[in-house]
Amino acid sequence: MSKSTVAPQPSRLGRFWHKWRFHINVLLLLIPLGFMPKYFADAALFRGDIGLGEREVGEITVGPWSLRLAELRNEAPRPQGPAGYMKGFNAALCDACIDQVKATYLRIGKPRSLRAAGALFFGTPYRMGTQLPVPEKTKADAELWITMEGWDGSMHQASIPLSQASPATLAWLTQQGAQP
Amino acid sequence: MTRFQRASRLRFSAVLLVMSAGFSASALAHNPMCECKAIDAEQIKCTGGFSDGSGAPGVTLDVVGYDETILVPGKLGADSTITFKKPGAEFYVLFDAGPGHVVEIDQADIEAP
Repeated sequence: MSKSTVAPQPSRLGRFWHKWRFHINVLLLLIPLGFMPKYFADAALFRGDIGLGEREVGEITVGPWSLRLAELRNEAPRPQGPAGYMKGFNAALCDACIDQVKATYLRIGKPRSLRAAGALFFGTPYRMGTQLPVPEKTKADAELWITMEGWDGSMHQASIPLSQASPATLAWLTQQGAQP
Repeated sequence: MTRFQRASRLRFSAVLLVMSAGFSASALAHNPMCECKAIDAEQIKCTGGFSDGSGAPGVTLDVVGYDETILVPGKLGADSTITFKKPGAEFYVLFDAGPGHVVEIDQADIEAP
């Protein structure tokens, strides 16, 4: 009598998988489609197609110059690891001042000196960006100070209330303050 | 290669891929950081660095008075720290890694020993 080993019958799930595995894998290609709207929205934002940022603050006069300021994203500051919370702002210099302005800085509270003028805007003058550190203990009535330094050595400053510059940041600060 | 080895190797590759994706964002940002502590009643020790974990040896760290006079001009040592005597006047610490890369620490924010 010969002994024959019978192969164990595959389970129902096993049979299903074996039959449909290629079709199921094609469905994997659909997964990236779900991320497409966010991808195209981000691409438009970073390319400038939807303006300077998600929320435009407006034209701010700084001495003889002016700039258009916008929040990169209309949201609360994001935690950036050990450096704390950062808030992205974009700015565009006025056409007449592009050749005259050497540097533009952003800071919460009045800068003590030009050396400590805050976060430096970088990039093309038509669309500069910076990451502003936002201390968690910032007061709700804080002001956002813009410092502009000219190639001729002149320095001009202006300020706007933080509530006007970024209502989302203010809401976040109020929420932080409510915590014990 | 056994089946087990192949499976574990695949799992390792997957974990590595996920970790690379996770760390790539933190590698982009390197914001300046500075921390100051009073080590005793007289001395203050400040440590500088960047948020990507790199140190800041040789970077300027000045102790500036409220009237903008530089009380203690200094540079961080090889271990990215500096220790200085607490000035008598009101002051703040300015970690200066270049324009736009500065951190200010007010005397009120320096932890007591």
